[in-house]
Amino acid sequence: MSDRTSVESVSSTQPRQNTTSDSTTPLGGGTPAPAASPKRSTRARPADAIFRGLSTGSAIFIMVILAGVALFLIVQGMPAIVANWQSNPELNDGFTSAFDSFWAYVGPLLFGTLWSAAIALVLGAPIGIGIALFISHYAPRRLAGLLGYVVDLLAAVPSVVFGLWGIIVIRPFLLPLSDWLNTYLGWIPIFGGQVSTTGSTILAGAVVLAVMILPIITSISREIFLQTPRLHEEAALALGATRWEMVRLAVFPYAKSGIVSATLLGLGRALGETMAIAMIISPAVIVSFLVITEGENSQTIAANIALNFPIASTLQRQALIGTGLLLFVVSLAVNMIARYIVTRGSSKTDGKKKSRPKPLVVPTGDATSTLTRDLVAEKNTAAGPEGASA
Amino acid sequence: MKFKNVATAGAILVASAIALSGCASSTPAATTSATPSAAAVDYSSLSGTITAGGSSAQANAQAAWTTAFTAQAKGVTINYDKSQGSGGGVTNWTAGSYDFAGSDSPLTKDQQTAATLCGPNGAINLPIYLDGVAIVYNLAGVDKLNLSAETLAKIFSLAITTWNDPAIAAENPDAKLPATAITTVTRSDGSGTTKTFTNFLSQTAKDVWTYPADSAWPIAGTSAQKGTSGIVQAVGAGDGTIGYADHSAIGELKAASVSVKGKDFVAFSPEAVTSAFDAAASTTDTGIKGDLAQTVDFTAISGTEAYPIPLVSYGILCTTFKDAKQKELTTAYLGWIGSDVGQKVAAKNAGAAQIPEKLLTEIAASLELVK
Repeated sequence: MSDRTSVESVSSTQPRQNTTSDSTTPLGGGTPAPAASPKRSTRARPADAIFRGLSTGSAIFIMVILAGVALFLIVQGMPAIVANWQSNPELNDGFTSAFDSFWAYVGPLLFGTLWSAAIALVLGAPIGIGIALFISHYAPRRLAGLLGYVVDLLAAVPSVVFGLWGIIVIRPFLLPLSDWLNTYLGWIPIFGGQVSTTGSTILAGAVVLAVMILPIITSISREIFLQTPRLHEEAALALGATRWEMVRLAVFPYAKSGIVSATLLGLGRALGETMAIAMIISPAVIVSFLVITEGENSQTIAANIALNFPIASTLQRQALIGTGLLLFVVSLAVNMIARYIVTRGSSKTDGKKKSRPKPLVVPTGDATSTLTRDLVAEKNTAAGPEGASA
Repeated sequence: MKFKNVATAGAILVASAIALSGCASSTPAATTSATPSAAAVDYSSLSGTITAGGSSAQANAQAAWTTAFTAQAKGVTINYDKSQGSGGGVTNWTAGSYDFAGSDSPLTKDQQTAATLCGPNGAINLPIYLDGVAIVYNLAGVDKLNLSAETLAKIFSLAITTWNDPAIAAENPDAKLPATAITTVTRSDGSGTTKTFTNFLSQTAKDVWTYPADSAWPIAGTSAQKGTSGIVQAVGAGDGTIGYADHSAIGELKAASVSVKGKDFVAFSPEAVTSAFDAAASTTDTGIKGDLAQTVDFTAISGTEAYPIPLVSYGILCTTFKDAKQKELTTAYLGWIGSDVGQKVAAKNAGAAQIPEKLLTEIAASLELVK
């Protein structure tokens, strides 16, 4: 990763140098340098200015859009956030009537958003990382390529199709499991309650969500796994580590921050998912941990907006936009945490490589017999994955 | 080789996606075979575009009307946007984007005069679409079910939780009712169907159903589904389920016979809906000339010929148009919808009931007032 960024930074500074040197060259010189020479000083062509303008414009444009969205959410959402929910006649009608304040309304929704996304992560992240590991380290090359494409294709399926799939396939498919969970594991609070007969549960929604976040987790993790230094892997194998031990000792420690950021980006995707959730889950604006009931599934912010927007009056619409503002803030926070972990994680491992070369010394002895090989493996584990990888 | 594999996998995925969506959209599409017999008015001289939108309950009927109307008025294009729902339709119409709005609930008096779009004379509600709310259920071994309004209220307020409850058994002496738990299926999105149904319950079972009529379902703890198709899907998939839906969209599901009071259980039929609406609906006095907003008194429905839960949907338009050409187009189209032919087209192609004749005459009179 660090290699890549350094390459990018070099390449990004180059054109700037070119243009400055170009501007100093006298006009009308008309000395076209031979194309082969790397140090030629070329005349500024209109395309340069246009392209630079376009790319700078695009960069500014996206910032303006983001600021505009944030501003829109704040301006439009504020009247409902500060309104008196107890006395306002508009808010005492319809879907907002049961709540005393904006925060009482948005609290359960925020909980539902995080809860469904958390279940989806618990179900989806290990599988996504497993697929990535299979593609990068276990699969035959041809199969790996095919599998990579198929997983990426999954990202191209529209969420409304996932929603239909969830309603028609996943819901009935999970019914026996729900019954089993309720009968035998019902003493665990989340599997309690009146078990659903139609399958319209938060569990079904989370399963579909888990499938939807697979592509993003898999593709990012795969890229990180493939970047594991070959030397680390070969060193581990040479010391007698099995494939799994090599992955555990060399790949995982190296890719740890990458996995975390992949998972958090998957979380960001899950937080914002609307259509599939709106179609599959039977929602209620309550705080509930139950996962296999019909009437006690916590609603998510995005699905709630989609479902209630068509009938909302002006102030109710502003209340929905206010909930959207909160979702915006949460998603932004998740993404920022992901980026923070990535930057912190990579600099930390860099530092550790230098400060802790110790485990490399450990297996210098005769690693010929199986016994010693096992001992080395154990010792490496004890030394901690970070140390062993270095 | 690699590319071939990918192409195959892609083809499989695409094919399965198509197969899945094919399964889902099994609702009857609005057919294009609408051929009205005789047109009293000559529409062929009209040309232009009518833009409208709103109620999704009207959508199938609007599609049938559009096809049939433009067959006669070749120069006219009609765009009816059902994606917005009634509320969104009214919002867009108020903003001036639509020539008329389709809405399941009429504009209130304040809304009618507040719409600056229409000038001082305000807007009018015209009842153009009639259907019934069907009580759909799925219960193994029970093919015929009778339910009174009071029992319905108990079921939907979750006071009755099993199918062999004495209240249900008393109304269905011949049925073998199992001890299956009842799963009530309701709408998770706001809907005119919900408003009609809760209005029905609040009028006919006051003691049990203490909630006001509302387009959002008032009670937590039910199975809440998105859209009529979501309800139909969930009721069909579960055992012991019961829900409510526009009759025109229920497909193969079984529907219960309903009574307002006593033992006169009536099964759904378009004629029974028309007859019930004729008996129960009266024009609300909003003080705006030509306005035909209807107040439905469900308790006035009785007998064995009237299905107790009619659902009416409106076309909303200004009494004063800014553009004379749009006025001509819109009133011609709505006038045709409010004719016997137009109502028959909706009945044939969208499974709707017909608006009672005396009301059709009033619609024609109201449209005469539009300037």
